[in-house]
Amino acid sequence: MDLLDLIDAVQSVADGVLFGATYSLLGIGFTLIFGVMHKINLSYAAASIGAAYASLLVMSVVQAPAVLAFVAAAAAGGVIGGLVYLVGFRFIPLANPLATLMSTVGLLLLIDEIIVHATAGVPLNYPALFSDVIVQVGPFGLRGDLMFVFALGCVCMVVLLLLLYRTRLGLATRAVSQQPTASLLCGISTTRVNVLTFVITGIVGGIAGAMTGAAIGMLSPLLSLPLTVKGLIVTVIGGLGSIPGAIIAGLIVGGLENAFQFFRGVSERDLYIMLLLFAFLVFRPGGIFARSAGRD
Amino acid sequence: MRKRSIAFATLVAGTAMVVCGMAGAQERTVKITGFGAKSGVVRVFGINSEAAMKAAAEEINSKGGVTLGDGTKAKFTVDFLDDRCNAEEGISVVRRIASTDAFVAVGPTCSNVAESLFGILQKKVGDASDSGLQFPIIADVAAKGGLAKISEWAFRNVPSEFEMYKSLIAWIKKEHPNLKTMYGGVEKDFAHSNATYGVMKSQAEGSGLQVLGPSEWLLNDTTFSTQVRDMKRANADIVAISAHPFTTCGVLKEMARQGVKPKLLIGLTSSSSIETLQGCAKQAEGIIIPTSFAPVTPEAKLAAEQVAKFGGSADLHSAAAYEIMFILKDVIESQKIMAKPDTVQADRNKMRAGLAALKETKGLLGKVGRTADREAIKPYLYVHAKDGSWQVLYKPTL
Repeated sequence: MDLLDLIDAVQSVADGVLFGATYSLLGIGFTLIFGVMHKINLSYAAASIGAAYASLLVMSVVQAPAVLAFVAAAAAGGVIGGLVYLVGFRFIPLANPLATLMSTVGLLLLIDEIIVHATAGVPLNYPALFSDVIVQVGPFGLRGDLMFVFALGCVCMVVLLLLLYRTRLGLATRAVSQQPTASLLCGISTTRVNVLTFVITGIVGGIAGAMTGAAIGMLSPLLSLPLTVKGLIVTVIGGLGSIPGAIIAGLIVGGLENAFQFFRGVSERDLYIMLLLFAFLVFRPGGIFARSAGRD
Repeated sequence: MRKRSIAFATLVAGTAMVVCGMAGAQERTVKITGFGAKSGVVRVFGINSEAAMKAAAEEINSKGGVTLGDGTKAKFTVDFLDDRCNAEEGISVVRRIASTDAFVAVGPTCSNVAESLFGILQKKVGDASDSGLQFPIIADVAAKGGLAKISEWAFRNVPSEFEMYKSLIAWIKKEHPNLKTMYGGVEKDFAHSNATYGVMKSQAEGSGLQVLGPSEWLLNDTTFSTQVRDMKRANADIVAISAHPFTTCGVLKEMARQGVKPKLLIGLTSSSSIETLQGCAKQAEGIIIPTSFAPVTPEAKLAAEQVAKFGGSADLHSAAAYEIMFILKDVIESQKIMAKPDTVQADRNKMRAGLAALKETKGLLGKVGRTADREAIKPYLYVHAKDGSWQVLYKPTL
């Protein structure tokens, strides 16, 4: 490997880590819902992309600066999150894990098909902030739009952590997550907490969808499935229910994805990511921050 | 009085019979069933094909319709079924169509569907040992080269990408003799993109261009920075991108970010569409793509307007569907197809024989040749993205 190769390799990994912030946000959404309800919401990434599409609809009606797309996506994400809870969880027997899993698979396909029917599957341009900015750090160039996406992702994570650990809502959420029956006895409405969790994760998902659109510069229904897979991988590697784990895992997966792309090419790239997932499931099923004895 | 009443009743009954007979004759219809992707990410192809078939049917019907084997006139109606760009569903859809009175089907959208679907048809006509489906299918969109060879019941009205890129590369060599190197970009997991990159590469090498390598990505990839960095390092004169609009735009945007500015940019036929301009008109500026459709003749302009009326967009794929309806009309008339429930297999045989016998058909850009392999040799031109629209750059065959 010569110097140019090395520079390119580092640059690829850096780009991947920055883009990995979107995976982190998606992972947080998956992990929060799992943490609170002990259920996997497979429609989460599709709902996130749906929210980004909804923000484009808002932008087509209102002539506003590009930053509004992120606000609109967050708002739409919250609404869609609430609807997902209502349709996919509220009236489904929660005691049967397969029922909610299948209902969210159905919602994934439904949201995807709604997007396809609304847009005929045509990819749409998505506004990016700072897309012309390249910050040169020695031989490396850091994309302004990806840095913005990364910074926004970090802000979301901090806000989310503050919300969880510094507010009454966060306290209630953690209480429901840890001891649902005891929470009920203490007067906490689990339904209300569940709805709010879906709305909050929906908001985060909306921002993640907008960040993805901004980072690629486009939106397509093609994004739903790979982002669902990436979100799940991040959730497993980060540890189900662990927000710090999801954050770190997202960045790791983003960086490794580009590293494998650089060294092994596109045909092997996903293979190594899947092997990584497999390795975690076997050797560290509790995720990055699990105790070493977590497996048993 | 009684006689007059009887005469009046006879007159009324006779008139009623004549009117009913006329109504019956007027109601004679021939349903042509199309199939393709109307859901999923390639839904737009199905929408456009359906709109084109309906637009052509309306045009034919407005001029009196089609004359059947018994001399009666019939109107075309169009039905369009969704195969979701999935091979199993495509086969299921065609089996369903073949279980009706239909004597031909038009489709599919995706090459992977066509490849599997043509495989269930009888390979050689008249081969009693082959129990394959004896049902003619004519493809409008599925573009991967040489698919009609699979079965003698399979036909295509799609342009030859081999011919188009061969001509384009030769033209580039002639017009830009200073360009010496080419770098490719290919959507590795899509049959059409992959096959077409093979054509681009072989033609470039054959014409003396040095191919420095390809960057590869997948249809639903989200980042292209590594691939474009390879492209940047190669610093080729020409960059040829064989990918569909979503990743074509993703790559073009990444190229703009990284400042990759080749002297010439070539794209995949399927990207000469409105989707590319909706996704990245600015970054696509200057990209050259060969296509078998542009509204450059009166017929093509009319077709584009009519397809738009039915909610579609005329492009190289849907224009093929439009042309197919006229081809079917000609074959129905020349082969005296009856379109009756008791002549279904005979009609299918006649339709197959008629399509196989065609040496030339009338296309929207001019005459379309037919090969012994049941493929089309269509006129084509080169378009380039300019000022946010596709504009004709050169007309090599018009």
